[in-house]
Amino acid sequence: MIEVEGLYYSYSNDDNFAVKDVSFKVAEGEIFGFLGPSGAGKSTTQGILTGLLQLQKGNASVAGYDIKNISRKMFNKIGMSFEQSNVYSKMTAKENLSFYSKLFDVETRDPMELINLVGLGGKENMRTGEFSKGMKHRLTFARSMINNPSMWFLDEPTTGLDPAIAADIKDIIKEHNNKGVTVFLTTHNMYIADELCDRVAFIINGEIRLIDSPKNLKLQYGKKLVEVEYGQDGNVKKETFSTILQEDKDLLNKIIADKEILTMHTKEATLEEIFIKVTGRGLA
Amino acid sequence: MMIKNIWIIFIRDIRVNTREFMTLYMMIIPLVLAVGINLLSPGINDTSVNFALVENENPEQAAYFDDFAHVELFSDQQRVEDRVRSRDDVVGILPKDNGYYIMTQGNESELVLEYAKLLNVLYESDVQLEDARSEIIEFGRTVPPLKKMLVNMLLLLISMLAGMLIAMNILEEKMDQTVSAINVTPTSRSAFILGKSFTGMFVALFSSIACLLITGFYNVNLGQAALVVFSSTILSLLIGFIQGINSDDAMEAAGSVKLMFLPMAGSIAGYEFVTGNWQIFFYWSPFYWAYRANDMILSKSGTWPRLILYIGIILAICGAVYTLLAPRIRKGLQ
Repeated sequence: MIEVEGLYYSYSNDDNFAVKDVSFKVAEGEIFGFLGPSGAGKSTTQGILTGLLQLQKGNASVAGYDIKNISRKMFNKIGMSFEQSNVYSKMTAKENLSFYSKLFDVETRDPMELINLVGLGGKENMRTGEFSKGMKHRLTFARSMINNPSMWFLDEPTTGLDPAIAADIKDIIKEHNNKGVTVFLTTHNMYIADELCDRVAFIINGEIRLIDSPKNLKLQYGKKLVEVEYGQDGNVKKETFSTILQEDKDLLNKIIADKEILTMHTKEATLEEIFIKVTGRGLA
Repeated sequence: MMIKNIWIIFIRDIRVNTREFMTLYMMIIPLVLAVGINLLSPGINDTSVNFALVENENPEQAAYFDDFAHVELFSDQQRVEDRVRSRDDVVGILPKDNGYYIMTQGNESELVLEYAKLLNVLYESDVQLEDARSEIIEFGRTVPPLKKMLVNMLLLLISMLAGMLIAMNILEEKMDQTVSAINVTPTSRSAFILGKSFTGMFVALFSSIACLLITGFYNVNLGQAALVVFSSTILSLLIGFIQGINSDDAMEAAGSVKLMFLPMAGSIAGYEFVTGNWQIFFYWSPFYWAYRANDMILSKSGTWPRLILYIGIILAICGAVYTLLAPRIRKGLQ
């Protein structure tokens, strides 16, 4: 669905590249996460792939369309949810979606259906200038689905949303992905990437350092340990056991059988820890 | 597809412009000014010959003149002189020795002056309306000059307001950051620019024609007037786009477009008050040519070859400005 090869981009048109020799492929139906801290080159890459930035060097194709000579028809197939909410503040939520739906030349979704989907039902006739930041963000997200995209670009889709709404948004993304929609997710939120992505790419200073699935990364970089807290003679004891050594496994089984288990955690690495290990920098 | 999207953008802009005080004001104020011009200056269908006489000095003469022209009466000779000095054509008839003398400002039409002389002679010869064997059908000057000038200025103001409206609409897109959202739809940048321009052009054309009708200029060639408005509005639209892109708030955008008032006012003053030899210094200004073309149309003396020449000059100047500004407009809308 996306093929990128040797992509370079410089805002100052010199050797000061914001994106350097970026290459990757995203298969149809995949959720591909682009992880990196602010200024790493995530949005630049996404900008090039969505035609918002001119391709300078390298090759890229999205949904079968060559990005070098973008056909406007490509936009009938793609949806884009921006990190910064961008809706017309003098128009109502419904008018916003109706306006955008008319700009496409494919069958579009009912604005009210999308408004209800993102939890803005009842606010459809309110001007978005009166919306909170989170409401505007949800509407921006809803708008990205208006043309039933098969390729969906999501830039920080849950940023600034309360946990309940963020969970709903994640569910919507999963649901659409289950229907075959390919997702290109740009985020610095490791949790959403971990939950949603089939594969993630770590990008830093404009270069991709690693591409793999979250599961593989955890196996590769995580510690194979279990940490257990249990009650014994009125006291709380805390011990760590290897999940590989037979002796530790036997001991763990005995504690589970005989003692009262208070907490038990595997010591697998988080994506953020892996990111720091690989790049030497945090995601914030 | 492109035409459909231009239309959708145009309809959105028109709808949103009616919701905001400043943009609504820009669309309505020309019509209010047109009504004001009607109230403040003589109507186009009124007689174009005005006499100022001293009240009670010779009521019989005043009544006689009133049968053939518009008569204004003043309490003394000084007030008559003051009235004659005003902007529009008024001829004073003042007593001297045993007769009357005709007082003019000096810039009145020869036809008006001749008519005043003739009417005075006819009165002194005691010729009555019943004695007349001929009928005056047309008098030459059909449009009061003050009104013509005001309406001409209003037409230029409308094109400027269209530019301001574009600046406001671009500013709205910029502040809401919606241009990037449009750029990920099948709408091309050209369709977006044309849709925005169509809004300004429609408002300019609609307001101009409405103002011509309100002020009584319904007998002028409206097609010619529309062509001049169209060409002179192009420059305002280009400036509107640039100022919308470069401004950070509504007041800044409106203020920077207002800078265009300077060349506009200079062009009007140049055409009206500067002698022929010096008018060459205003040839660079599209407003000068638009004012000149409008003057011709409002006087109903416009010929197509001259009009096409004036419009050609305006479009050539706009073309040069477009060449300079187009890359910045396109970049600003990325």
